[in-house]
Amino acid sequence: MEKKPLLEVKNLKTYFYTEDGIVKAVDGVDFEVYPGETLGIVGESGSGKSVTSLSIMRLLDPNGEIVEGSEIIFEGKNLLELSEDEMRKIRGNDIAMIFQEPMVALNPVFTIGEQIMEAILLHQDVSKSEARKMAIEMLKKVGIPEPEKRVDEYPHELSGGMRQRAMIAMALSCRPKLLIADEPTTALDVTIQAQILELMRELQKEYGMAIILITHDVGVIAENADRVVVMYGGMVMETANVHELFKEMRHPYTWGLLNSLPRLDIEQERLYNIPGIVPDPLHFPPGCRFNTRCEFADEKCRKEIPPLYEVNKDHFSRCFYYQKVEEAQKLKKAGESA
Amino acid sequence: MTAYIIRRLLLLPLILFGVTLIIFSFTQILGPEKLLSAYVNPNVFDKLSNEDLDKLIHKYGLDQPLWTRYFKWINGVFHGDLGWSVTAKQPVAQAIKERIPYTLELALYAMIPVIGVGIWLGVAAAVNRDKFLDHFIRIFAIVGWSLPDFVFGLVVLMIFYSVLGWFPPGTMSSWAEQIVKSPEFKHFTHILSIDALLNGRLDIFWDAIRHLIGPILTISWLWWAYLLRITRSSMLEVLGKEYVRTARAKGVPEKDVIHKHARKNAMIPVVTVAGAMVIGLLSGTVIVEVIFNRIGMGRFTAQAATQLDYAAVLGSVLFYSTILIIGNLIIDILYAALDPRIRLG
Repeated sequence: MEKKPLLEVKNLKTYFYTEDGIVKAVDGVDFEVYPGETLGIVGESGSGKSVTSLSIMRLLDPNGEIVEGSEIIFEGKNLLELSEDEMRKIRGNDIAMIFQEPMVALNPVFTIGEQIMEAILLHQDVSKSEARKMAIEMLKKVGIPEPEKRVDEYPHELSGGMRQRAMIAMALSCRPKLLIADEPTTALDVTIQAQILELMRELQKEYGMAIILITHDVGVIAENADRVVVMYGGMVMETANVHELFKEMRHPYTWGLLNSLPRLDIEQERLYNIPGIVPDPLHFPPGCRFNTRCEFADEKCRKEIPPLYEVNKDHFSRCFYYQKVEEAQKLKKAGESA
Repeated sequence: MTAYIIRRLLLLPLILFGVTLIIFSFTQILGPEKLLSAYVNPNVFDKLSNEDLDKLIHKYGLDQPLWTRYFKWINGVFHGDLGWSVTAKQPVAQAIKERIPYTLELALYAMIPVIGVGIWLGVAAAVNRDKFLDHFIRIFAIVGWSLPDFVFGLVVLMIFYSVLGWFPPGTMSSWAEQIVKSPEFKHFTHILSIDALLNGRLDIFWDAIRHLIGPILTISWLWWAYLLRITRSSMLEVLGKEYVRTARAKGVPEKDVIHKHARKNAMIPVVTVAGAMVIGLLSGTVIVEVIFNRIGMGRFTAQAATQLDYAAVLGSVLFYSTILIIGNLIIDILYAALDPRIRLG
């Protein structure tokens, strides 16, 4: 049975017009998010993952522009065709967002309660005292101790983990259908990271919302995502469900990313790293964006941008030589087990 | 918070003691004969023989050491006696008391346009960054910024008085002055425009306002320039912060994003500048008062200083220091009210 996607991003192109030239931060990205699932978007800094999420919310900086022909379809409506006012009713209500730095993402001059209540009062027809009760209820739900007291505290009075919990409480206060979490745990301690991710999974089960989890941390993706989009240089390199991606990646970049994870089952002198650096988005190489760092790259890769090949059901790879990647993996595995 | 305010207020006499001691010591450089002029009618002064001078110097204790004289002055201050002002030809305390309402009146009326419009222009420029309105406001600011007040004041006087005849210089018209000085005119607050309203004299109220517009216009433009630049840059910085994006992501309407989320944060540096401006206004603005020939503290002090009227200078210093200290205390309290991260203590 084919499920209907909650969100479809089609041929999204987001360009930034700077003094030095046009930065093609996102250059033709397609993916879908289905109700209740977690879609992981993974990539290095500058791969365009954050810009993708801000494009969905239409919260780009003034010099950023979504290019004509892009489509972001949420529940059958193209968000890019909505008026600012209609879009505002979706933000925080149907699609909510949490950010990387809870330290700076909460307004320092308003209390936690005021900030949560604001979201509730904007989108729901409730009185102030009801909104306050709901805010306290949300704080309790995200595991903040003494919510009746914390609700009147300012962000600086809370620890980093508590602030991120408060951010989640704020984002979920209107029960959104889609939560975009942009590096939600990057700024937190490892132990706190696990707690926050656990909390997000619990709340997802309870509310049945879909999550777009944006991160550069492959480990976080492995544990939390159902499906994964791997981005590089503003393009989707590979997309597959999480199990298949980790076992049978068909793109050299994904392979490199996963190879750079520490492993306990084999002896390693040092961790693998992908050679070279992320290309300057002002001057992407012609052809495949990854060709400057790819061991499989040849003349063809330096001339043409490869299309997305369907290598398996619902598994796509943007590589001319995805079969070679497969063979190389088999060889490597054989070598390891020998 | 209360403890903090009390502590700051307890420091007030200590600071006043230090400031007046320094100024007092400086005035003593003048020497006994010059200092004597504060006590003697200048017409008589020139005719005095050296012997008479010595007698008078002794009589007023000017031959005594600095400390003795300083404490004598302080003692007088405690009894409400600040000495005799040569320039005002009346006791210093009386002279200051008479001038404060005029300075206060100008300050109160100027404060509203200076701060209100200055901040509003700054926010408008930041929100419309690099658009026409922003460029227009910035040109307006640069003009205000580069014109000295004595030039701009004269231009205002020339256009609105000489050419158009709308806003005359001075404090009030002579017909109004006659009424104000008559016994029927009751002085409730000593602030001319308010007293005029309370006496039911709309004509005098309008006359007072007409004399205020020129100085207010001059002060406003110059200070807008400064205030709006601070507000603009502070707003631009805050608008780039992540919590502004969070507010937008919640679906907060843009006008609330700007006027609620961003502006409250942006006001923190603005308060410093605006506070200093209010303190400046309350101290009287010398140039504006001189150009528009108004009664007020600024002009009084300037005249006193140029005519070696040291008792008046000391009295003014006492007044300014008090305003400055209390003004800064109010700024600190405002900080704490704006930013919960600031704790007074």
